[in-house]
Amino acid sequence: MDFELSHEQKDVQRAATEFARGEFDPDLVLELDENETFPDSLWKKAAQLGFIGIHYPEEFGGQGLGLFESLLVIEAFCRVDSGVGSALSTVDLGSEVLLKFGSLEQKERFLTPLARGERRLGVAFAESEDGRDLTVLSAMAEKRMDEYSLQGEKRFVLNAPLVNTFLTLCKEPKEGWITLIVEPQRDGIEIHPIKKMGLKMIPFGDLSFKGTCVPLASRIGEEGQGLIHVHHHHHVMALRSAAQGLGTAQGAFDRALQHAKQREQFGRKLSQFQVIRHKLADMAVRIEGARWLTYKSATEFDRGRVQPGSLWMAQLEASRGLISVVDQALQIFGGYGYTAEQAIEHYFRDAWAIGADLGTEEEQKDAIADILLGPDSTRK
Amino acid sequence: MLFELNDEQRAFQKKVREVYEREVSPLVEEYERREAFPVQLFPILGAEHLLCLRCPVKYGGPGLDKISECITVEELNRICVGIGASIMVQGGLATDPLLHFGSEELKRNYLSPAIRGEKVGAFALTEPDAGSDASGIRTTAVREGEGFRINGSKTFITNGTICDFATVAAYTDPTKRGSGINLFVVERNDSGFSVTKKLRKLGNHSSDTAELAFEDCYVPKERMLGDRLGGGLGQLEETLKSGRITYGARSTGVGQAAFEATLSFVKGNRRHGQPLGKSQAIRFILAEMAMMLETMRHMTYRGAWLFDQGLASMKDASVVKLFASESVQAVVQKAMAIQKSAGLRMDNPVQRFLRDGRLSKIPEGTSEIQHLVIAGSLGL
Repeated sequence: MDFELSHEQKDVQRAATEFARGEFDPDLVLELDENETFPDSLWKKAAQLGFIGIHYPEEFGGQGLGLFESLLVIEAFCRVDSGVGSALSTVDLGSEVLLKFGSLEQKERFLTPLARGERRLGVAFAESEDGRDLTVLSAMAEKRMDEYSLQGEKRFVLNAPLVNTFLTLCKEPKEGWITLIVEPQRDGIEIHPIKKMGLKMIPFGDLSFKGTCVPLASRIGEEGQGLIHVHHHHHVMALRSAAQGLGTAQGAFDRALQHAKQREQFGRKLSQFQVIRHKLADMAVRIEGARWLTYKSATEFDRGRVQPGSLWMAQLEASRGLISVVDQALQIFGGYGYTAEQAIEHYFRDAWAIGADLGTEEEQKDAIADILLGPDSTRK
Repeated sequence: MLFELNDEQRAFQKKVREVYEREVSPLVEEYERREAFPVQLFPILGAEHLLCLRCPVKYGGPGLDKISECITVEELNRICVGIGASIMVQGGLATDPLLHFGSEELKRNYLSPAIRGEKVGAFALTEPDAGSDASGIRTTAVREGEGFRINGSKTFITNGTICDFATVAAYTDPTKRGSGINLFVVERNDSGFSVTKKLRKLGNHSSDTAELAFEDCYVPKERMLGDRLGGGLGQLEETLKSGRITYGARSTGVGQAAFEATLSFVKGNRRHGQPLGKSQAIRFILAEMAMMLETMRHMTYRGAWLFDQGLASMKDASVVKLFASESVQAVVQKAMAIQKSAGLRMDNPVQRFLRDGRLSKIPEGTSEIQHLVIAGSLGL
C-alpha cells in the first residue's frame, strides 16, 4: 500500500492549483455566477495548458495520464472555486465512453478538439431528473437507409445550449439500446433551458428530439450496447463528481479556516473557541475520508478493476461530506456566509447541484447493499 | 394541561391563512426573483390587523398574545420566509423596544403608524465587527446640545433600504462595555443617515437586507428610548426573548411547507418503476420529518405559552430557537435530498425552502450563542 501521490501526480496537482489560483479571480467568479455565464476564456486557457482531457492518449490530444490525474485537476479547480471548477470539469462529459467504446475515427474526430478546447461534449442519457433511473427510458431511434431518426425527450442535460456534440441513448426496434453521437445544430432538436439553484455557470436544459436525423456512423460500438455505455459513464461520473465534491468541500474548509483565524468576537479569534476548533476538526475528518475513498476507487478504475461498490461508496461519502462541510463552513462565517459577497454562499448552492443527477442517497445505498448482499438478494 | 389550540385560536389560524394566501402568495414568485420586498403589503396587512400583533389596542394594535403571534408567523413563513422576515422585524425588533421603553410621543409618531403599516421599521444593532458579540459595537451617540450625534455603520439590517425609521443601538458611554449602550429612533430623512449597500443573499430574497451608515447623524434627545443613559442592551432582553420564540414559529412554518411539498412529491412520483411512497427508506424519512415538525411546533407553542404567562426565561427561549432552527435544517435538507435534481429547478419551491430555512441558525443569536445561553443557565 502506498498512500503517497507519485511525483508526476503531485506535479499535475501543483500545476492545476497554480493555474486556478492565478486565473480564477474572486470578483470575476461572483460576477460569472450572478450572471449565469460559462467561463469561456478560462476554459480555453485551461485547454491550452493541457488540463482538459489530460487522461486521453497523446494521439487524441491528451497527455496519456489516468482518470486519477484528471480527478486531481477537477479537485484542485473546485477547491479554488466550485463554480468555475465544476464548469471546466463538464466540458467533455461522455468522453470516457468514446475512449472506451468509440471507433478510431470517432476518437480522432471528437476527442482531439475537446482536448484543444475547440468543442464541448455533453451527455443526454436521462429522461427523468433522476439519471440513475433507467426504467423510464423511452427515446426511440428508427434506422433508415443511411441514417437514424430520433424521437424523445431528454432531461437535465448539462451545457445543453453550448455543447457542439452530445451522446444520447435511444432504443432502436431491431438494434435495441444504442448510443448515438448527435450534433445539436441538426434540425429537429429543441432545447428548453432550466433555471436552477446551483452551478449557475453551467447552463442546463431539457432536450426534445423531433425526427432528428443522424448518420449511421454516429453509433458508438455495437448494437444493444447502449446500457453498457451508460453504466460506464455512471462509473466515471461517480468519480468525477466525487472529485468535484472533494475539491468543493476542501475549498469551503480552506475559507472557513482562514475566516476563523481572522475574525474576532468577544476579544478572541474564532479559532480560539473550542467549538469552532472542533467544527474544523469534524470537517477535516469528513474530507479526509472522502478523499481516500475517491483515490482508492480511482486507482482501481485506472488499473482496469472497476469496483462499483467502492465507486458508489466514494460518491456517497463525498456528496454527504460535502453537504455537511459546506454547511459548517457557512455557519463559521455567520451572517457573512449567508451573503453573496462571500464565495461560501455559492459553494453552498453548488454543493447541492454537484452529482445531483447521479441519484439520491437511497439509490446509492440500494446499489451498495445489492453488492454487499449479492445480486439475487431482494429488498422488496 | 391542554396541548391544543382552542376554538378561537383555530378560527384565527384559519383566517390568517386565508389572508396570507390571498394577499401574499401571489407576490412570492415575483418578489423573490426581484430580490425586493413588496412594500404594498404593509398597509394591506395593517388593515387586516396583522402587523405588530402584541401591541395593545390603545396604540391601535391587535392586542393579541404570543401564541396568536406565533400562529401568524408560522402561517406566513409557510408561504414565504423572506416576506416573513420583514413583517417579523416590523412587529418585533423594530417596535418592541418602542412599546416597552418609548415615550408616548415616540409611540404616537412611530409605533402607531407601524401598526397601521404606514411606516416601515428596521432594527440596527449588528455591525461589521460585532455580530454575536453585541457589546462589541462601535457606533457612538455623543451628547450635543439637545440631542445626540450618531456615528457608525450597521450591517445585515432587515428592511434597511425600505425603512422609514430604525431603532438603532449606539454607545453613549463607550468606556462602559456592554452597559453604556442606548437605543435611538433614527428617521430615514435624518441627515447623516444613509443606506450604503443592499445585500444579496443565499435566501430570504424577498426580504430587504442592507448596510447602513450614520455620519454625524443628529437626533433630538426625545428620540432616545427611556430616560436614563446606558442599559440599552438590557432593554432588548424581552425583545430578544420574544424573538427567539418567534424563530421557533418561523422554522416550523418553512418546515411545514417543505414537508407538504415532499409528501406531495413522494405521492406523485415513481422511481425504478416503484411508487416512491412504497420505499421503506423514503417512508422512514417522511416519518422523521413529521416527528421533527411535531416536536418543533409543540416546543414553539409551549415557549409562547410560557411567555404569555410571564414565565419564560431566556433559557426557555433559547431552547426553542436552537431546537427549531437546527431541526428545520434536517427537514429542508431531506426535502431537497429526496428530490435531488428536480429540487434544483428554480420553479420548484423546495430549493427556496432549503435556502430560506438555512438562515435560521444565524440571526438573533446563532446556534452557538443559544448553546452558550443554555449552558450558562445550568450552574456549571
